[in-house]
Amino acid sequence: MKEFRSRILLIVAAVAFSVYLLYPTYADYKNNKEIKAKLVTLKDSILKVNPKITEDDLEKRLSFLEDSLVVNNETYKEDREKRIKLGLDLQGGMYLVMEVNTAKLIEKLAKDPDEAFKQVLKSANKEAKKTDEDFVSIIARKFAEKKIRLSRYFGSIREDDETIIKRLKAQEEDAVKRAIEIINNRVNQYGVSEPSIQSQGARRIIVELPGVAKEEEAKRLLQGRALLEFRLVKESNFTIPIMNKIDEVLAQSLYSTDSSDTAVNDSTSALDSLLTDQQKADDMQKKHPFYSLAWINTQSPYADAFVSAKNKAKLDNYLSRPEVKSVIPDNVQFVYSAKPEVNKNGEKIYRLYLVNSKPELTGGVIVDAQANIDPQTTSPIVTMDMNSEGAREWARITGSNIGKRCAIMLDGFIYSAPTIQGKIPSGRSQITGMGDMDEAKLLEIVLKAGALPAPVEIIEERTVGPSLGQDSIRQGLFSTVVGFLLVALFMMVYYNKAGTIADMALFFTVLFILGVLAGFHATLTLPGIAGIILTIGMAVDANVLIFERIREEMATGKTAKASIANGYQQSYSAILDSNITTFFTGIILYQFGSGPVQGFALTLMIGIVSSLFSALVITRVVFDYLVSKGAKINIG
Amino acid sequence: MRIFKQLDYDFLGKRKMAYVLSGTLLLIGILSLAFHGLELGIDFKGGSEIALQFDKPVDIGEIRSYSDEIGLGKVEIKTFGGETGVLIRTELQTVPHDSYREFLNVIDKKIDELLPGVEKQIVDTSEIEVVYNFPNPDTTNYLNNALFKAGFQTTKFSEESNNTKIVIGVGVADIIQEKLREKFPENPFKVLKVDLVGPKIGKELKLDAVIAVFLALLVILVYLGFRFKFVFAIGAVVALFHDVLITLGLFSLLYGVSDWLNLEISVNVVAAFLTLVGYSINDTVVVFDRIRENLKIHKTGDLGKIINRSISNTMPRTIITSFTTLLSTFVLLIFGGDVLRGFAFTLFFGVIIGTYSSIFVASAFVYDYVTKSKKRISF
Repeated sequence: MKEFRSRILLIVAAVAFSVYLLYPTYADYKNNKEIKAKLVTLKDSILKVNPKITEDDLEKRLSFLEDSLVVNNETYKEDREKRIKLGLDLQGGMYLVMEVNTAKLIEKLAKDPDEAFKQVLKSANKEAKKTDEDFVSIIARKFAEKKIRLSRYFGSIREDDETIIKRLKAQEEDAVKRAIEIINNRVNQYGVSEPSIQSQGARRIIVELPGVAKEEEAKRLLQGRALLEFRLVKESNFTIPIMNKIDEVLAQSLYSTDSSDTAVNDSTSALDSLLTDQQKADDMQKKHPFYSLAWINTQSPYADAFVSAKNKAKLDNYLSRPEVKSVIPDNVQFVYSAKPEVNKNGEKIYRLYLVNSKPELTGGVIVDAQANIDPQTTSPIVTMDMNSEGAREWARITGSNIGKRCAIMLDGFIYSAPTIQGKIPSGRSQITGMGDMDEAKLLEIVLKAGALPAPVEIIEERTVGPSLGQDSIRQGLFSTVVGFLLVALFMMVYYNKAGTIADMALFFTVLFILGVLAGFHATLTLPGIAGIILTIGMAVDANVLIFERIREEMATGKTAKASIANGYQQSYSAILDSNITTFFTGIILYQFGSGPVQGFALTLMIGIVSSLFSALVITRVVFDYLVSKGAKINIG
Repeated sequence: MRIFKQLDYDFLGKRKMAYVLSGTLLLIGILSLAFHGLELGIDFKGGSEIALQFDKPVDIGEIRSYSDEIGLGKVEIKTFGGETGVLIRTELQTVPHDSYREFLNVIDKKIDELLPGVEKQIVDTSEIEVVYNFPNPDTTNYLNNALFKAGFQTTKFSEESNNTKIVIGVGVADIIQEKLREKFPENPFKVLKVDLVGPKIGKELKLDAVIAVFLALLVILVYLGFRFKFVFAIGAVVALFHDVLITLGLFSLLYGVSDWLNLEISVNVVAAFLTLVGYSINDTVVVFDRIRENLKIHKTGDLGKIINRSISNTMPRTIITSFTTLLSTFVLLIFGGDVLRGFAFTLFFGVIIGTYSSIFVASAFVYDYVTKSKKRISF
């Protein structure tokens, strides 16, 4: 017995450890039953108190209660954290791959971007759509191809490309990291249990939201950018000439072929009175295509253009024409107001402002935000506090621009453009112009959580409904049990007593796989279950190799003890070589796959290791023990 | 119980027959791959896919004949896990312009139906969603729930009590659902899963899959070259190529033969191929190991005899392990459900071909190579 002691101890320890690791999974299963029972009584009491509650609200209340039950009970909480987690394909939920559009970030960082820069950016953008490489590397390569030094657009003239690339890369990485942090914040505020947010590659973020089936809600939460900017509005003596120019250029390019017609019309001014309003409007549009869509209030000191909602698309189209772009200076741009005003005819009118392209200050300096009702105007406002650096900057900007207007822009739209009355030293500022208190509140949340440094795009989205997950679990469990029983039965029939020992080892193999999965906090996916089933079929291999070898040894007339010793000895190299090569493919599979496939690769690898342990240690001890007791070995 | 008692069979003598068989299978496979091609799943092709479960059995042909009316161009329709499940796929990721507008009308109509004469206003639209505004929070809450229950992906614009806006999803999956709901009002369904894969992901994955398979082959080549002789490593890799190509050929050949068996290349199937590589090499290595051992014992023995004896020695193990593995993959194929069927099929067939190749391809290659090059191998 003594010679087996250490090995038996090892086996007992391994089994005990697996059971210990698996216990929380079992406990969590039991806890869930308890929680469900409690929820039923809670549901009844809610219905009693409030019989008219809508189904949706009831559901929300209940899921909230469920969460609080788990959170407030330490054992529940611990068990849940330590159980084997189920993948999204088994429990249902959303899986999203998002990509941070760092091209936009680089574009923003560039100083004095010219035509050449825009071209490079465009081709780099095209390439970025195909690969996962970081954007800085791509654009740096493009510049190198064109033999343009990066210092022309980034950093100072004395810096070499390498330093600039290094710095830009750091900025890009930082942007992705910040995006992850912000998304993390938002998801936590939203209250999903066990979300997972990870980065992948250079620019990607993988978000897993278990149990979430409301796609719209989730996407909205993740993608909202909340980019806050303070930009100076151009004064009318700057804006009006530009607008005149645009009008002129448009009239020329759109209607230049009609110039002869216009001449005819002029000469027949006697007929003018006969023209209908429609024709007059047409005429106006031909002569002043810009001003016919964007009206200027000549009484106002500001040069804000008013655009009716129905004309917006057309005007956008005009403004994006190359000949129009060429007359708008690079350092300014037209921006719409976020919300339309409604005039007395019930038409929705947007304001179009001409503002600096470069923001004076961005939302990064905001440390706190508060939605309120302004007691004077009774309209909703959001008050913001800035950090000291921002406050200093804000004081300087407001101090040197008194009398001018500063637009407060969020995600590319202007919320308000108040006139700067005087220097603001405190770093406090206000946003007005929200439609209602809701909007103000939403703004408050996004300002607090922070702005995404660059837009994020969803490039892959997978939603699994809860019923499909349950079906998969049921099918997976059923297959596992059937697979196990069939293989076990076959082994017993074919190898008799030895087969029974191998079956015991097989059982422990499965136990070890599950234990290690729980210990690693790994996620069990549907392919992972498939991996376990496959392992059940393949795990007997080591035992089969050994048994067949022992049979061969016995056939040569050796004693049982010698046959067993030799059988094991001779099988080692085959077992190791074959399993190591399979293990390699497991590693490669793990590298290749994502989510579910990784779960499969992981179970496969754990399966290989634990089946080796079962075959080489557990069955061996049993055999050695039986031989030492003088029992007859029966290998079928 | 014993199947083989002291087997001694001239496997190598039958290798010419095996070559003809393998060659034929490979030829058929390659021809099918060239002309019929492989059907790539959404993982690789990109697009939108939605799986639905109806309450009552549906006639897949009826849905197919209706697919033109969905207005999303070419739409693939298949069964999904039994006769009540339907899988619909399109290569589109965003809705074409006309369908988008038409869909907005559908939403408008639905709102009018739920609350006739309610004042509604679209305040924002984007490629994937539209924002409606209503006069008061109660109406908004009611419509949000009612529309969600009617199958639209809706959410309140904010959680404040005086919120009056609803965001409604207008993606490809939303339109498909709406159209089918309209067509089969007496047979409601629930959504099992929705997948949207961008074209970039698909392209990357294709490359990754090919790299992974080749990397696996390379690692095996190096490891076996190191542990055995290089000729063994090449023999093993040739056998693996043989297995993968024939299985791929089968995928191409059988695609579309049965609705039950969904043979398109998905990420899971690629995983199965890598596993097949792992299994097949496992099998081959066991035979090689015995050849190595026997070569050590009979240093001057005839290589052909040694190989034959080694294959015979390991034959019981080969058969039994293949059998148990087939058993478990068969269970997976039958009971594992729709998601894993392609995966299980690859492995089921792969185990058979892998077992065959480790006997008749890998070892035979080693034998032919060594005899042709008139070299001797010794360990």
